[in-house]
Amino acid sequence: MFRTISGQSANNLKPQVKWVSDYLRRYKRLLFLILFLGLATYLCAAGLMFISGYLISEAATQPDNILLIYLPIVLTRAFGIARPSFHYVERLVSHNFVLRMTSDLRVRLYHALEPDAAQKKNKHKTGDILSILADDIEHIQNLYIRIIFPAVIAALLYLLAVLALGIFSIFFALFMLLWIGVMIILVPLVSLAINGARRYSQKGLRNNLYQSLTDAVLGIRDWLYSGRQADFISNYETNDDQLRTSYCRSNHFSKRRDFFWQMLAAVALAAVLIWISNLTSHGNLSTSWIAAFVLAVFPLIDAFAPIPEAFSNLPLYQDSLKRLNNLEQPAKSGVITLPEELVDTPITIRLHNLCFQYEKGHSVLQGLNLTVAPKQKIAVLGPSGTGKSTMISLIRGDLTPSSGTVQLNNTSSASLGDTIASLIGVLNQRPYLFDTTIGNNIRMGNPLASEDEILLAATQAGLHELLEGLSLGINTPVEEAGARFSGGERQRFALARIILQKTPIIILDEPTIGLDPKREAELIATIFDELKDKTIIWVTHHLRGMERMDNIIFLDNGHIAMEGTHAELLQSSKRYQDLYAMDTWGELKTNG
Amino acid sequence: MFFSLRHALIWWRGKVLENYATSAGKTLRHRLLDKIFALGPSFVQKRGTGNLVTMNLEGIRRIENYISLFGSKLISILIIPPLILIYAIFLDWKSALTMFLVLPIIITFMILLGKVARNRVTQKYQSYRILANHFVDSLRGLETLKLLGLSTGYAKTVGATSENYRKATIGTLTVAFMSNFALDFFSTISVALIALFLGLRLLDGNLLLAPAITMLILAPEYFAPIREFGGDYHATLDGKKAFDDVQTVLDTTITAKSCAEGNIASWSESTRLVITDVTVGKDCTTGSESQPNRLETFSFSWHGLGKIGVIGASGAGKSTLVELLGGFLNPKSGEIRINDANIPNLRHSDWQKQIIYIPQHPYIFQTTLADNIRFYTPQASDEQVQQAARQAGLDELTAVLPLGLNEMIGEGGRALSGGQEQRVALARAFLDAERPILLFDEPTAHIDIETEYELKKSMLPLMQSRLVFFATHRLHWMREMDWILMLDKGCLVAQGRPEDIFKHSAYQALNDIKKAKKTDV
Repeated sequence: MFRTISGQSANNLKPQVKWVSDYLRRYKRLLFLILFLGLATYLCAAGLMFISGYLISEAATQPDNILLIYLPIVLTRAFGIARPSFHYVERLVSHNFVLRMTSDLRVRLYHALEPDAAQKKNKHKTGDILSILADDIEHIQNLYIRIIFPAVIAALLYLLAVLALGIFSIFFALFMLLWIGVMIILVPLVSLAINGARRYSQKGLRNNLYQSLTDAVLGIRDWLYSGRQADFISNYETNDDQLRTSYCRSNHFSKRRDFFWQMLAAVALAAVLIWISNLTSHGNLSTSWIAAFVLAVFPLIDAFAPIPEAFSNLPLYQDSLKRLNNLEQPAKSGVITLPEELVDTPITIRLHNLCFQYEKGHSVLQGLNLTVAPKQKIAVLGPSGTGKSTMISLIRGDLTPSSGTVQLNNTSSASLGDTIASLIGVLNQRPYLFDTTIGNNIRMGNPLASEDEILLAATQAGLHELLEGLSLGINTPVEEAGARFSGGERQRFALARIILQKTPIIILDEPTIGLDPKREAELIATIFDELKDKTIIWVTHHLRGMERMDNIIFLDNGHIAMEGTHAELLQSSKRYQDLYAMDTWGELKTNG
Repeated sequence: MFFSLRHALIWWRGKVLENYATSAGKTLRHRLLDKIFALGPSFVQKRGTGNLVTMNLEGIRRIENYISLFGSKLISILIIPPLILIYAIFLDWKSALTMFLVLPIIITFMILLGKVARNRVTQKYQSYRILANHFVDSLRGLETLKLLGLSTGYAKTVGATSENYRKATIGTLTVAFMSNFALDFFSTISVALIALFLGLRLLDGNLLLAPAITMLILAPEYFAPIREFGGDYHATLDGKKAFDDVQTVLDTTITAKSCAEGNIASWSESTRLVITDVTVGKDCTTGSESQPNRLETFSFSWHGLGKIGVIGASGAGKSTLVELLGGFLNPKSGEIRINDANIPNLRHSDWQKQIIYIPQHPYIFQTTLADNIRFYTPQASDEQVQQAARQAGLDELTAVLPLGLNEMIGEGGRALSGGQEQRVALARAFLDAERPILLFDEPTAHIDIETEYELKKSMLPLMQSRLVFFATHRLHWMREMDWILMLDKGCLVAQGRPEDIFKHSAYQALNDIKKAKKTDV
């Protein structure tokens, strides 16, 4: 059983060391420094005890020459000061190493996620997954500080100790090689085999508990209305107890193992005592060394003691490493510059026979034809899942058509890369507000904008009154994800950003969803007033404001099901009449 | 011998403390869960879901850890150093004196440096928070960065901010580790000093070797518990904080009195609900527009079944009214009567088990579609679930799902669109014919007009022969209602039959939409 499990985890760990080993190589120097300092800490501790033991033993013989113990006296002081100093510096350097590596890992993770960021259906979309990945990096920090560094330092100490013994006696050195080997290699491996699997399953159980509790708390109303909350609590407690039992088992194992391990250490201590006594009794060595050798063993035991537990925690890092390694590193693309024909000219968008499928046999768009002239305003409607978002992604060039073309004048939009952002601005359902000031958030539309331009854009977006009311004005922090502002206000911040971005084409992707009719009407009025000189593609979910549009298209199953102006559709389509009648029922009543 | 005895004792100590901690943790967990369910959704909203979940899992674990860790350390520090000291006095009182004198110095330094470190951290807390969150913030806003064309260059900012964070952190750690260094330094130096003194006195022949060596072995053991005590200081701080957090939740009192069982009649054609002068939350005069959860001197009565529409702008009090009716907000003043019984509040299982609640985003549990549909009626058969799914218009969805009704949905499972979520909620309602009251809170606000049009066809039959409260912005629903309540800034400004209300002038004032449009055209 041991073999299968340890073999398994060893296999699992193999491909995962990439995110670890890369950085070991890059920061070789810092790494050596850490290992040296760690080693020095324990050597000083051992040295202190060794010299102290020698000192008092030697002193007890009351030597005639005081100078004989002068050197040991100086050394005890030196070791006494050096040990904590080395330890202090080692901790700082290792944290510095780990934090530096974190910076690199973050940039690397960012690069891995960046290319797909604008695609609606990308796999890392939800905030939770992003947070998990960010947490994984923190876990790697612990992997270094708690496992890798102590284990390597212990291994080095082990080698040094055995080599040092080898000077005196090859046989005893071989015996200790074996014995300490059992203590810091065999016991940790057995511990990994038994407790490692347990720790791993505990992590899974814990995640399940997290999920089920989050699920229950989010759905607390339904639990209360259903009157079944007692069922949930008892079910949850059963699962939690299962986890607790598992914890208890692994903790008991740890305690038994530690006791056993300490007994092994006691045997090692006794062996050293017997060996050194033997050595001195044969007159090879002065008896003063007995205490020295025996005392020096204690700090070494301290260095080795945490290794078995550290090893059994190894599987906890498995998932984090696996997730990070699964992220492909994208190929570096060259710098794209905007073609001449798109600089400062009116732009016509042409969709020709556009088809797209995410997976084979499941087409989202099927032969879409559409031309949007400069400064034209078009509305796109259709039930969810009919390809509105896909169409937007294709126009922005985030997706490449399966067949057909998307052209801005004569250039294919997918070839424009990030330069598309200078042509097309997007206002979507939930624009993200970064955890900085309002001013900095608006400035993202154009990082070179002056303070005055930012204020102007904010005023145009209808934020004047709001900013007046804030004591810090434009320098007010928005706080995490803009939680302190309402939905309508957040949209206006994003609108200011887009006004500053000064693109000729704007895509509105259901920006008014969740706003009440009054605020919706106000926001739409602001948007169309401020953006009247631009091409607008407006994805919307109902018919408010359709009178303003030059063209309205209804998508259904990847086709254009209806097309025309508001007046045309109202005249020609029964379906449009029904929908319009429903949408504006209360208003028409009072009008008429 | 002593060595094994010592470790056997450590083993035993750990076991006893762990058992104690586990049983204490279990009790706390149960009380906390009960309390959260008793306090209900408004409390959850205030404290945050993540916060409560973490408190339940992480927090209680920290408390247990705190109990066992702190306990074992306390035992160590209270027993070991004094015992060693007493033994040392008999063995060699001069060394004992040295050990005794060093102790206060170590503790003073530990406290002083610990304080300095903490001050440093609190001073910079704000900038730390931003630096620490910057990375997650950037990842969450990645889509926006991409749309603005900033995403490629932003990698540099991510790296630079992370480096700034590293420098700031190392700056703090320099001080924070200092307290450990001081502990280490003084205890090591003390050992060195003791060794030195012992050596000198051995040299003079005042001391025998055996007690000297014993002293030397005991000296590090004397300091070890103190060092350990300082070492996991943060773990103990975390544990104490978690304990305080849990305690504040447990101490939250449920202010409302509950009424005796059996007071609330099952709703039928002859039941009467009378609400008189009920005020919820803050009052109109001081509350600004953005203050939610308020309703002032609200009076309303209804007899039997029927459909009641609730309209008004955001913040007018629609959701507050629905929460009041659902029993999740308690009236501050006023009176609620059902038939002739005076009900202090509707947070009562007799009332709540009559309700089906359908909000803007019905909650979808992480389980199969079928189990989601039978959430209110776990005993429903597969055929009944299938029937309900058909009535709610879920056939199209189940046809494309590989596992049909047994497909996993919710977080982590297959994502549903807003319209499909509504249909799941409708299916729950179709399945549970026993519940006579329907509460709708903006059920179609996020849904495109064509889906809404289809959804309406499924919803209308559900509302037959029930008591329905329907809060919405979408006015076309009002045509189907029997009675309309119009709210503005927490006050009931008009009520009546739909045909009357939409001629009423108050509606004109409330709906600035046309005004906005007129000035615009």
